[in-house]
Amino acid sequence: MKKVLTLVLALALTLGCALGASAEEETYTIGICQLVQHDALDAATQGFMDAVTEAMGDRVTFDVQNASGDSNTCATIVNSFVSQGVDLIMANATAAVQAAATATYDIPILGTSVTEYGVALDIPDFDGVTGYNVSGTSDLAPLDEQAAMLMELFPDAQTVGMLYCSAEPNSVYQVQVVTETLEAAGIECEDFAFSDSNDLAAVASAACEYSDVIYVPTDNTAASSTGIIDGVCRPAGVPVIAGEEGICSGCGVATLSISYYDLGVATGEMAVRILDGGEDITTMPIEYAPTFTKKYNPEICEELGVEIPDDYVAIG
Amino acid sequence: MTIASLLATMPGAIAQGLIWGIMAIGVYITYKVLDIADLTVDGSICTGGAVCIMLMRANFPLPAAMLIAVLAGMAAGLVTGLFHTLMGIPAILAGILTQLSLYSINLKIMGKANQAINARNYDVLVSMQKLRNVPVYENTILIVAIFVVVLIAFLYWFFGTELGCSLRATGCNPNMSRAQGINTGFNKVLGLVISNGIVALSGALLAQYQGFADVQMGRGAIVIGLAAVIIGEALFSRIFRNFALRLLSVVFGGIIYYIVYQTVIWLGLDTDLLKMLSALVVAVFLAVPYWKGRYFARGKGGKTHA
Repeated sequence: MKKVLTLVLALALTLGCALGASAEEETYTIGICQLVQHDALDAATQGFMDAVTEAMGDRVTFDVQNASGDSNTCATIVNSFVSQGVDLIMANATAAVQAAATATYDIPILGTSVTEYGVALDIPDFDGVTGYNVSGTSDLAPLDEQAAMLMELFPDAQTVGMLYCSAEPNSVYQVQVVTETLEAAGIECEDFAFSDSNDLAAVASAACEYSDVIYVPTDNTAASSTGIIDGVCRPAGVPVIAGEEGICSGCGVATLSISYYDLGVATGEMAVRILDGGEDITTMPIEYAPTFTKKYNPEICEELGVEIPDDYVAIG
Repeated sequence: MTIASLLATMPGAIAQGLIWGIMAIGVYITYKVLDIADLTVDGSICTGGAVCIMLMRANFPLPAAMLIAVLAGMAAGLVTGLFHTLMGIPAILAGILTQLSLYSINLKIMGKANQAINARNYDVLVSMQKLRNVPVYENTILIVAIFVVVLIAFLYWFFGTELGCSLRATGCNPNMSRAQGINTGFNKVLGLVISNGIVALSGALLAQYQGFADVQMGRGAIVIGLAAVIIGEALFSRIFRNFALRLLSVVFGGIIYYIVYQTVIWLGLDTDLLKMLSALVVAVFLAVPYWKGRYFARGKGGKTHA
């Protein structure tokens, strides 16, 4: 019995070696560091892995790590990637990209779900190419078009309240741009920043008092607390324009949506170009989401009596 | 996933552990010496990082930036101390209140939630980048180790002075200390000031090390600090009796915590479980000395009530 087993094992080993030798193409390891468990970030990671696997099959192995929302753990994770000598690091969200960019100047780093790379990486006069071993995709939805959408749906709006979490750098940036666009059109804007879900209800009430329409940017804390926003804004009859689909489906009337899955796919395609195509990451410009869709939330629109033009898609 | 690759991660784990070890020394001063659980640290570690990064970005010389960061942390400790002594708020609540307000203050210091410092453009003292392939005297581990040694030497001297002794007495037995004419209120404030200054120093190093300060970076810091204190105590309390060595054991605790953490990540365990694992690490190190005392103390003698 033992002999048979040995024989089988030996055969398997030889076969394995032979197969390994015949597969001449190079294999790669990609380390993925994601900041926190979150629908949008999960979708981006999934899209990335799907795109890479589709192009390169099982020549790529993934080491997927999640920092569970603790930015210090990002440093521990990327340290592990750098020591292992992974071939590429995919860093999902701002703190993950910052930690990776600090940890290595050699290994190519692709970021995703980051809004502004110039701000996140402290690059003065950023022109879309970092010039370092860092590139990736930005989750910036065209903010001026979001503002235009707000004005299209609510032409009579005089005051707009900006509801966002003060802990999120991306939100502050989005609110600034939308505010500039709206104020240029003569609409008054006021910031209503909350620090976490505990004071959200109070801040949202104040925002409802002030505003004809409320704008909520792409904001992780808002995304996980849409129930609170809906519970305040809907009874007050104040419509919410949301920065992304997850927030819109929870508490908004309409949004200009990017798909984080597609964003991940775009990032994955960049990875394939670097690993298989030999493209130089230092010259690759930051890419944006390929398509945007105008979407609306039928339930809330009906209740608030908001009329939606035909080119909007209902969130299912 | 070989042992070699695990060993290769160790410089990073040790550097991170050393930086958190400095923070843990701060926690030790309040938690062990003063017998106060001070939750200010979750905020003051970020204050240290934020002040240091913002000053460096404003082209302040590095030593000045770090010194002011320490002073900012001390100010935070002062506020907690005054909440506690002057306003009679229980220490734990005073810490929570300061921590809460530091959230707003840190946001105002940085102007937003996250500020990066690009190690390419600034002369940072420590960085993940400076772990390998740099001259020895620039190596992050060495530089942080020097900070640790100097800090421990200073604290050893300080706690040997009359003032330092009275501070220790305050923690041991406040009633007796008062009876001896020690101003315990002042000592508590002083302890909190020193502790938070040290925590802010660690925050300043941490922000440089990872390349950014984030308003969330102190979240759960107290747990890591306590873990380091407890691990160090559990493993070294038998050998390290001297006060300086005890402080050193706290730093070792921080290093061990991060080595365990790094190994867990290297093992490829589901990272969703990380938080639970760190809680379990602390629980185990708390339980072991207890079990040792309870089940294995027989034969040592002198353990029964006198």
